[in-house]
Amino acid sequence: MDIIAMILAGARVDDLGVLTFFRPKSAMPYGGLYRIIDFPMSNLMYSGIEKVGILSQYKPLYLMEHMHNGEPWDMSGRHRFVTILPPFKGMGTSDWYKGTADAVYQNLDFLSNHKPDLIVVLSGDHIYKMDYKEIIKFHLEKEADLTIAFAKVPKKGAHRFGLANIEDGDTRGGKILQYTEKSEKTPFEWASLTIYVFSPYVLFEALRANEAENSHEFGKDIIPFLLANNFKVFGYKHTGYWGYTRTLQEYWQTNMDLLGNPPSIDISSWGICTNLSNFHTRDRQPALIGPDATVEDSLFYSGCQIKGKVIRSILFPGAKVDSQALVEDSIIFSNTVIKQNARIIKTIIDEDVTVGVNAHIGENAAGELTVVGMGTRIARGTKISSGVTIYPNLGPAKFTKCFYDTGEIIK
Amino acid sequence: MNDTAVLLLAGGVGSRLNILVSHRAKPAVPFGGMYRIIDFTLSNIANSRLTNVAILTQYKPLSLMDHIGNGSSWDLSGRSRSTKILPPKTGEKEWDWYKGTADAVRQNLDFFTSKNYKNVLVLSGDHIYHMDYRSMLRFHHEHGAKVTISMLEVPWEETNQFGTGIIDKKYRIIEWEEKSPHAKSNLASMGIYVFDRDYLVELLEATKEIDFGHHIIPNALKEGSVFAYPFDGYWRDVGTVQAYWDANMDILDAASGLSPETWKIMTNLSTKGIPYDRPPIKVSKTGLIINSVISPGCIISGKVENCVLSPGVVVEENASVKDSIVMHDTIIKEGAHLERCVIDKKVFIGKKSHIGIGNSTVINRLFPDHINTGLTLIGKYAVIPEDVKIGTNCIIYSMVNESDFPTLYVTDGENLQKKEVG
Repeated sequence: MDIIAMILAGARVDDLGVLTFFRPKSAMPYGGLYRIIDFPMSNLMYSGIEKVGILSQYKPLYLMEHMHNGEPWDMSGRHRFVTILPPFKGMGTSDWYKGTADAVYQNLDFLSNHKPDLIVVLSGDHIYKMDYKEIIKFHLEKEADLTIAFAKVPKKGAHRFGLANIEDGDTRGGKILQYTEKSEKTPFEWASLTIYVFSPYVLFEALRANEAENSHEFGKDIIPFLLANNFKVFGYKHTGYWGYTRTLQEYWQTNMDLLGNPPSIDISSWGICTNLSNFHTRDRQPALIGPDATVEDSLFYSGCQIKGKVIRSILFPGAKVDSQALVEDSIIFSNTVIKQNARIIKTIIDEDVTVGVNAHIGENAAGELTVVGMGTRIARGTKISSGVTIYPNLGPAKFTKCFYDTGEIIK
Repeated sequence: MNDTAVLLLAGGVGSRLNILVSHRAKPAVPFGGMYRIIDFTLSNIANSRLTNVAILTQYKPLSLMDHIGNGSSWDLSGRSRSTKILPPKTGEKEWDWYKGTADAVRQNLDFFTSKNYKNVLVLSGDHIYHMDYRSMLRFHHEHGAKVTISMLEVPWEETNQFGTGIIDKKYRIIEWEEKSPHAKSNLASMGIYVFDRDYLVELLEATKEIDFGHHIIPNALKEGSVFAYPFDGYWRDVGTVQAYWDANMDILDAASGLSPETWKIMTNLSTKGIPYDRPPIKVSKTGLIINSVISPGCIISGKVENCVLSPGVVVEENASVKDSIVMHDTIIKEGAHLERCVIDKKVFIGKKSHIGIGNSTVINRLFPDHINTGLTLIGKYAVIPEDVKIGTNCIIYSMVNESDFPTLYVTDGENLQKKEVG
């Protein structure tokens, strides 16, 4: 069986604000080492799917470096590949991708040249472990035209997803009876994971039919089209962990789910692969923990140096916490330095940030998240409350006040 | 630097490292958590922008060859770069094992005569240090040397382990002693040589002598064109278990000068046995880490103090490890207590066992010269049963398991081997 996977990796979701100024969400750091796209990539690897196209148009540089020809997932070779598919100028109509479906449509020749038996379309920004062989088996058994994976989500916030009413009978899933996209008042509890298994001719037909429309999204346009035209659309129920990152709070929570005993995500049993030759990760020495350090319920990687106190936090390669500094309920990206006596609570700090001596960021665990953008240098002694947004690449001179209150944006 | 061929002699047995070298050559011994000893030399080569490397192996080369691969971890493979592994090969008459350093180079003359190299840099893969070989090559040319030996001052009591030399004001070596019990100088050879390629060929073809230090260097000295390149940075031979332990612990001491990341030391991170990348280090709520080096994939729920842990080490709740080096994927179960141990890969330490605790003046019975400083060695794949007490200066051999323990006690200085089958 010849299968091609297409990963929708282009999106920049405004909700993640300063963290996605320079990278698409699929390239967001996750869990002290990974990028979010490592999860679908590792799932594909374990599912034996070794031909992958990555649809990317927002700041693709970071992502391209990370994909490294697919080598980290053993996908480079004579019959294996990972190809980044940026938008391109064509004979006439080609342009920036106008939606998820349009992105795939613009690469129809890429797909048809390979003559796959099945096409799997995945979103590149969810944290989950899935053996795609199972949903494919289900798809073939049901002789479906399209099979979509769903997970149960809490009612609150469910309206942000595509929701379905799935026929009972088979515990694995069934025919989709009703489907609504991002509806505020919906009774359905199964939310779409944006994992689609298509029979190629069905996908091609739906995409061609969609070309003339004004909107080009899988959830909003393609699925309703197929349902309306009596194609066999099935829902496959995913029961394991599913982490999504649509808001900062969700991104933070999905990271924190790696902590605790037992954690919601047992990352080592998931066997995730990433690109270790990524410039943030390569050639790091093992982590150094100082004589007076305290590290509790946390994750960190090579290149970290911890001399202060780190509680319930996640540190990426090269993050440094000086003596008497405190980092609690926080996520610290690569190369960021927390200087002496600084105090970081419930904050996400991007790469290459310096937090000056005695600076305080975040109030307490109950407060809103504070976020600090890439490369900013926070002046010594600055006090910043919960729920503050700090833009990337600010010098210490930008911190003119000694206190910043909730809701402020420093830029 | 394409006019210099590099020959790395990686055949070192390192027998004083005892069971750490029973499955691997000395250059392949794990060091500093994630590295192997040879990574330091390979990284020095790469960071000196030298691109043509031959690695001569002989003693238990498998794990070494695995580790080196095609050299791509050190950027030593590509269109104009190469890393060749040269094991001993059949000569015209017989299977010719390398009989010594010079013999090994002589048997591979074609490696550096087949292309138009000007210099040959001969290195060993046995040492922990950081050096830019380009400065040494520059020194070699500036002094009009035919042979340059990198040398540093060692403590006088160690001079008997080295080739030592007396130099004149211009760094010319005027007298040479090889492993002399009463050396006249403490300026010792680091086993790093730069030769004019043609002169090296001449020297090697003039005799059949097999060792650089004993034969070739004294011969060359007579012609007066051998110079000493003075080195005064961090350099350790890690030839004994205690020296190996000390050098590992130096990573924890910023003042020691040993700093793999600043030295840009690279290693091969591909993992054997697991199909995925090592995840980040996990410290649970009950975990406590004091003054230690910790590698990816470790899970710490107990107490770790003054230790160097390789990837994948698990320390369970209420267990404690102190002043120890623990290699890949070793599991230390609940309530175990370890002090001053060097534990090889994939060892299983049973619940509530006590290891390395005892009277360190009782030295090892079988290897009084190797194990006499209060360190206990545990070999690869050993399984230590629950409640066992193992003293200090002990050696527990590789593959030992529950059935090999006659009692729950291994007293200070004792050894435990796997029982012969049948």
